Amino acid sequence: MNENEDLITLKVPAAAEYIDLVRLTLYGLAVKIGFSYEEIEDMKVAVSEACNNAVLHAYGDIRSHAALTGTLAEAPHIEVRFVKRYDALSIIVKDEGTSFDAAAAAKLAQPVDGKTIDELQAGGLGLYLMQALMDDVVVSSEMGTEVVLTKRLIRSGDH
Amino acid sequence: MKHNDKLVLRTENQEGKCTVYVGGELDLESAVQMRAAMSPLIELTDRELVLNLQELRYVDSTGIGILVSVLKARHAKEAPFTVTAVPPHIRKLFDMTGITPFLLKQA
Repeated sequence: MNENEDLITLKVPAAAEYIDLVRLTLYGLAVKIGFSYEEIEDMKVAVSEACNNAVLHAYGDIRSHAALTGTLAEAPHIEVRFVKRYDALSIIVKDEGTSFDAAAAAKLAQPVDGKTIDELQAGGLGLYLMQALMDDVVVSSEMGTEVVLTKRLIRSGDH
Repeated sequence: MKHNDKLVLRTENQEGKCTVYVGGELDLESAVQMRAAMSPLIELTDRELVLNLQELRYVDSTGIGILVSVLKARHAKEAPFTVTAVPPHIRKLFDMTGITPFLLKQA
């Protein structure tokens, strides 16, 4: 790890009830670094969306594992790494799930502009929101899914 | 904050109108509670259904998905549905996802 980076790691059970804990941690760190209220709100939503996906993949895996073997798999976790650099914060959300096709999801990620009510879809907005709210989003799927969300920090002294 | 205070719902019935005050956090965890609360109200086609979001602190795509589901269900029944008092940071998400014109009454 680069000496100009600080790393904060949080590992939580892949369950919906722990996502607000990830948000709280992000909030504390982002305030400390000096992000604006609006930037923090944006990051909270983006990080939660990545965690939502991780939880949903984990549930999918538990169900398919149980169906195949008749037993429950070990409880899965989500690992969240906050990488603080001088000019940016990256949040890396990694799950151990296998039931996600990142490439297919990226193609579906789009807003609902210009559609009629009948064409609106109740799902599929998560990845779109991540892309819209962060400066950079990278999704990779090998041994689980890893989402890297980056927000650049505009320091007031830089203007 | 108590665990069960995460999402706070209060329903007010008036003549021709049912208003639900939605407060707290509407996310993957509280989605089940929200869906359960909405399901009987969707059927009340003799009155307008209004969601007041003034006290809503947080919503994610799961929550937005529920609003879209309610909108579609009400539309299919030709029953009125609107969302009011949307806080600015939540309005931003509605604008980004493109659902604002469907949810908010045009001024």
